[in-house]
Amino acid sequence: MLSANEIRKVVAERTAHQKGTGKRVVDVREEMERLEERGELVIHRIRPENRPVEASTLFGWTKRIPTDRLWHHKSCGQCGNIPGYPSSLLWLMNETGRSYLNEPHQTSCTAWNYHGTATSNPVALAAVAARNFHRAYETGHFPLIHCGTSFGDYKEMRKLLVENTEVRHKVREVLRKMDRDLVLPEEIVHYSEWVHAMTPEILARQRYPVKGIIATVHEPCHYYKMVPEDAVYDDAIYAGQRPAVPSGILMALGATVADYSTWYDCCGFGFRHILSEREFSRSFANLRKIRPMVEEAHADVAITSDTGCVTTLDKSQWIGKAHGLSYLLPVLADVQFAALALGAHPYKIAQVHWHSSSTEGLLTKMGIDWRTAKEEFQEYLRALKAGATPELLHPAHGEIETFFAVNKGQVLPEASGPAPTSASASAPAAVPAVGGPAK
Amino acid sequence: MSIVARLPRRTLSLTEEEEAAPPTMELTGRRRMTAEERGTAATIFQEFRADRRHREFVVGCLNCGECTTGCPAARFYDFSPREMLQIAQNGDATTLWDAMQEKIWACCQCYTCNMRCRFGNDIAGIISVMRELSVSHGLESTRRTLAPFGRSLTLLMTVGTQVASDMIQPDFFRDWGPFATGSDKVWQVSAEVMRKAIPSDVLQTTRSSWEVSVQTSLELFRIYEETGVLDMLRGLDPDLTEMLIDIIEERREEFVEARERFQDQLAGQTGPVTTFSG
Repeated sequence: MLSANEIRKVVAERTAHQKGTGKRVVDVREEMERLEERGELVIHRIRPENRPVEASTLFGWTKRIPTDRLWHHKSCGQCGNIPGYPSSLLWLMNETGRSYLNEPHQTSCTAWNYHGTATSNPVALAAVAARNFHRAYETGHFPLIHCGTSFGDYKEMRKLLVENTEVRHKVREVLRKMDRDLVLPEEIVHYSEWVHAMTPEILARQRYPVKGIIATVHEPCHYYKMVPEDAVYDDAIYAGQRPAVPSGILMALGATVADYSTWYDCCGFGFRHILSEREFSRSFANLRKIRPMVEEAHADVAITSDTGCVTTLDKSQWIGKAHGLSYLLPVLADVQFAALALGAHPYKIAQVHWHSSSTEGLLTKMGIDWRTAKEEFQEYLRALKAGATPELLHPAHGEIETFFAVNKGQVLPEASGPAPTSASASAPAAVPAVGGPAK
Repeated sequence: MSIVARLPRRTLSLTEEEEAAPPTMELTGRRRMTAEERGTAATIFQEFRADRRHREFVVGCLNCGECTTGCPAARFYDFSPREMLQIAQNGDATTLWDAMQEKIWACCQCYTCNMRCRFGNDIAGIISVMRELSVSHGLESTRRTLAPFGRSLTLLMTVGTQVASDMIQPDFFRDWGPFATGSDKVWQVSAEVMRKAIPSDVLQTTRSSWEVSVQTSLELFRIYEETGVLDMLRGLDPDLTEMLIDIIEERREEFVEARERFQDQLAGQTGPVTTFSG
């Protein structure tokens, strides 16, 4: 496997080699600026009210991570079968006083389907991305991408829309048919980068020490192998040789992040395989990931930061018993682990009961009284069954939003003073039309 | 003298009969291409080479094998990203056709090969191009491969998410164990109540990953209509496509009816919420 330094060298060579063909590795954000000046797109800029924190990417470029006033771009797999993943993130935002929108007016990126069945094409993928980007923009909230594949896909689609005039024009034509236009975010931001940026505030609220916990990290492929230049690296984490997320938050919380030989391998998700060829997914997950994590690193928990990875690594283990692989290593997303360390309810918030490999031994080791929490949850289920109103992390949506993507407060011109602090308090204003960018 | 050199010439070349009807390999065995298949293979080859992504994704190959040594699929399947790249670079219509029968579907799309490639080839990307062509030409092998994805494709096309909690049924996902589905058997409440226990209203559904507004799903379907995705799907599964069109037509009617019902509340709104007609 190439180290990050080797990759940097390879890309530098590639940059030099391909200069003559015009296919250099470039910072796409610079070209976005030029296209905005020509009226071909609007950049959804990170504004002061987004309270950005700077981080460094693979080539040392600066990436600004917005930490407030965010538009949750949910993950279909997380919401579908590991819902404690998004609920832990929303809970952390509530705890740290960050505002957000979690809307029904979002589609997935549709890239799970594309990578699994290929029943799409780049123009469609780009148009889906652009529709979601525009929706985030018209609400005045910056998109925060929950899924590693959505993050990878949106990085690719942003590059495609910037670099390919034909695709850009076609997508604009499609968007206009729904009265939308091309808006590209200044940064494509993965939620684990938000966690990274919020580390000091998360640590300030830590309730359970996790010093005795050994964690192994699975780095999601689509976070750093697709459009590698957009992934966050930090010289203080693996000496900048591996991505800084999600390892950084685990180290900061006090866990021991242990290495294992197959850290660079994928999880075995395979998109198509996890649904229709699970014998591959479970073999790969057990033999190439879980076994080294347990036997080499003696892990208490596997931590990752993507939908497919949590699903595959967790849910593939139970059947391992049939082949004598009885590891049942708990698998959590970084936000679930962080939320638990801050005192989130293991069942109501972290929703650990959706996980196949029991987390209760880990909870005990963290000092969390899961038995009491479980009794509380069972009582809560009985109450829900009897018709009680569900507890929510954010206000419920009105019936009108079952049908319509109503406005929540628009992006204001650059010089318009302080932005409203909540979506509902802000008066709708016109979205700058493409061709007359907000300056 | 090497073993290869001692082999009779017969095994190293095709007979006249075989040259007239080139053999093709599937994992199920060796068989000849029909005249129709040869025609389709030639068309696919032309489209493949004409795709702008072929020029961008296929840069060159050192034969270093870094891609294949890191490939998860290569550990479990008769599959090699290096072979796929070299077919993309130097293959002919027959070798491309062969690869598209089954091998392209082994790829995990993890992009490990791309990251390891010194040349900067986009191997995962060029495999996706091959897959797209196999879908748009409705290859029989592709139909078989994607047959289990009817429900997933229905969700994708109608609401834009690809999974719903009611897809993850314990009986179908037995290998995931008794806890993986938030199972009602374990917790003694229905799947609907388990979803109610998720602290976000938009997630409290069993029919999709989250509740998707009608406007959003209609906008998505417009994208599929305008970008040729619906036509791709029609080539693969015409019955499913017609069913999707019916579902969306019902949602359009629902949307129009709701516009009348909510006209007072929509009066103060601007942008797509008031202008999109479905």
